[in-house]
Amino acid sequence: MSWNRREVLGTLGVGSAATLLWALGCGTPARPVVLAPQQASSEVRGWLRDAVARLATKYPVVHALAVSRRRTTGAVDLAGTGVARARRDGVVLTIRDRDGMWREQVTADLSAAGVLAAVRLLAGAVPAARLDLPAPPPPPSAPAKIGDLELRNRLDAIMRSDRAGSSRIVYASALIDIDDVNVWSIAPGHDREQQLRRVRQRATRAAWNGTRPVVSEVERGWTGAIEDQDLDAAEVTRASTNALQLLTPGTFADGEYGVVLDPEVTAMIVDTAVRGLLTASALRRPEIAARMIAGAAVAAPGLTLIDDPAAAGAYGGFAFDDEGGLAAPITLLDGGRVAGRLTRGRRAGHVGMLEPGPSHLRLAPGTVTTQELLIDGWLLEGRLDAVLDPGSDRIVIGAARARELKNGSPTGRVFADVELVGALAALLANITGVGKDTATMVTRDESSGEPQWTSVTAPWVRTRGFVRSRRRPT
Amino acid sequence: MITRRSLVSALTARKVSEWIVVERAQEIAIADEARPVRRSDLRTRFTVVVHLDVTRGRGTAKLELASLHGDALDVVDQALDLAGAAVGPTWHSPPPAAPAKVALLDAQLEKAELAAVASEVLHSLIRPAGTTVTAAVEILREQVAVDASSGFHTRWIASAIRGSALLALGDRSLEVAREARKLDDLSLGQGLLDAARDLALLATAGAPAAGRCALVLRSDALLHGGGLGVWSVFADHANAEIERQGLSRYRLRSPVAPGAEVIAEPLTITSDGALDFATRSAPVGDEGDAVRRFALIERGISVGLGLSTREAARRRTDPNGGVRNLVVGAGTWAGALPARRTIEIRRLRSLSIDPYTGDASLEVSLGVERSGTTETVITGGTIRLDLVGALAHAHRSATIIRRGPYVGPEAVVIDDAELLA
Repeated sequence: MSWNRREVLGTLGVGSAATLLWALGCGTPARPVVLAPQQASSEVRGWLRDAVARLATKYPVVHALAVSRRRTTGAVDLAGTGVARARRDGVVLTIRDRDGMWREQVTADLSAAGVLAAVRLLAGAVPAARLDLPAPPPPPSAPAKIGDLELRNRLDAIMRSDRAGSSRIVYASALIDIDDVNVWSIAPGHDREQQLRRVRQRATRAAWNGTRPVVSEVERGWTGAIEDQDLDAAEVTRASTNALQLLTPGTFADGEYGVVLDPEVTAMIVDTAVRGLLTASALRRPEIAARMIAGAAVAAPGLTLIDDPAAAGAYGGFAFDDEGGLAAPITLLDGGRVAGRLTRGRRAGHVGMLEPGPSHLRLAPGTVTTQELLIDGWLLEGRLDAVLDPGSDRIVIGAARARELKNGSPTGRVFADVELVGALAALLANITGVGKDTATMVTRDESSGEPQWTSVTAPWVRTRGFVRSRRRPT
Repeated sequence: MITRRSLVSALTARKVSEWIVVERAQEIAIADEARPVRRSDLRTRFTVVVHLDVTRGRGTAKLELASLHGDALDVVDQALDLAGAAVGPTWHSPPPAAPAKVALLDAQLEKAELAAVASEVLHSLIRPAGTTVTAAVEILREQVAVDASSGFHTRWIASAIRGSALLALGDRSLEVAREARKLDDLSLGQGLLDAARDLALLATAGAPAAGRCALVLRSDALLHGGGLGVWSVFADHANAEIERQGLSRYRLRSPVAPGAEVIAEPLTITSDGALDFATRSAPVGDEGDAVRRFALIERGISVGLGLSTREAARRRTDPNGGVRNLVVGAGTWAGALPARRTIEIRRLRSLSIDPYTGDASLEVSLGVERSGTTETVITGGTIRLDLVGALAHAHRSATIIRRGPYVGPEAVVIDDAELLA
């Protein structure tokens, strides 16, 4: 079977951005791409301050949020390198009526005329007014520009760092995805600006195992300079090793087992549980509100979970949220008991609908080594997906691999595509060990075409649950 | 400032071999009771497709622009750069064909103030007695203009409405979502009434016993997650690129599953992208290819594929705009249940389908189990199916429903399935 690069990517479900798929090419020399300069910070601030001043003459609560985003995506695969760039601007003007109704006017036109037009659509022809706003903050330092050549060199470095070097790898790629975001938030009580550079690096490997391709990815993401971190050789080699993993033929007996979850799987459960149970919107469901009351014991006593957007370098972090509130940690679980809920507003891409959601979740590590966690049962590795039914608390967690453990050691039997199934409450209550080693997973989801950046730091965890094979016997 | 005209001028100035520019000027109004908020959004998005013909072959690039700022020449240069880096075998675009004649704009929304309409939809929503409903409505009106290097030009106006609601009764809740092109087709109120009935049943539900059984999939389970639901497996398998690679089970002019052509009521499915007011209808696709109605499966035999411009050129035929709305042929099933253990699935928690094998996992949210004269309400459990085979052999109801991109049976009966606890 002969595949071209785009087909392989599409087939394997790799490279979610359509732009990236089109960008991957045959490695012709890059021509420099000149993009229009982003709007000057002081100019944008001036337009927004004027908008707030006008709206404040008519409404008691006013907020102006503007964003200028640039995305730079570089990818290299077996046959070539490509770089794509995209840009998105947006302004969200929000007011609250005296009757309590919120109104938002959104425009993609980040210009003096565009902002003024949005004000008029929202409030009619309100005259210019004077409003004493706080002094503007000093402008954040602009991140260093990244040229195509530098990006290509970094991609090549990721590709070269793979020590596996197996001819069984049928597809290999590396990705660097950079989101540069300028956000301005201005209201009668505050004037804030943040500049964030979110960097994501990913290596992907695929190999055939029998009649099915096995795809493995490793990923690292952070906020800061591109040189702050790197996918190292061990991580890239791990992607190849996992893709090359020889799987045990047949299936195993479905049943209740002791399981050890790697940080990827633990992070996926944490993220799914928080979104499904601990946000203000989830708590509108009566069955969840009744269960997740403050102080209720919902997990093993050792579990403490915090949403911390101010964590240094966190991919999902920020300085202030999309309502202008300064970043501060929220403890969601304290010793296994409900301690808080997520209410801070986040907008997809800073322009979408305001939705409470996680930023950077941190499940506190324990004190035992990973080796001490291993028991009889299964070691579940690699996140696939997780589905939680908040009404019944039933969760289905997909993991890429299950390694059989006996007396704390792998037996060598490995099965792909397995599921851990059961009640989330039981799964969390059954936790009998939390490791001291952690890893951080990052996610760049899209909602209505706008990105949402989140990250989760989680340890290895030992628990008990029903494990079954996802693949039908063939 | 980037405009369609400036993009066309830049493409002409750079002497690009072939190009298509699609402009979407969108107005969106949202009314949401949860916060509560009323939101209006004005935005313009461009899609630029360029084909660069060089001696080595043809390179293609597609850019999506969501910013009005910048220089059109820079955008075109970037697209050419990407196309030059993606040169593959030569192929030639077919000559432009007439756009499909299809109605996409609700006359009630042609000139209406969308924010007011969204509020009115929420205000007039019929809410089941004794329940608490928190609803949201999103209304889109967009003017689409398509220009191509061949001189092809077309434009149209479309509307779309999405409604969603959280319905709570006592200590339980269900989410309902509907989408349509016309306000009158949204039927969010009916969805709420059905959900209220199911919520009452959920209160009495117990866990199911594992084992084999017959299944009846009702409309909310068939179309779980909006869109095409379980029927999307046929759309995936009719993707021409995947079929050419041999990665789908779909083979042209062969039965979609063993024996599918010899049963009493063989399955027939048509893709109809020109169906008036269906949510996936359009006159042309994003590559300027005319959208067409075509058969995917006729009496159990696969007969058609969704063809992009490039894939159609490779197969020396005309593109058809890809698989869009599905029209599934009705059956004759009138409600008689199989004699064996039967579970009528009303709602799913989740549906996952392997696009290549057609294997599916259905997590049961609400079902009614019938065994002899005993009737039990169940919740939980997983059903594993070879979805292609199961749907190809299923008995389809005589009653037809139309919802979003789907027109077809209201229910199907699958004779044998495995329920996992």
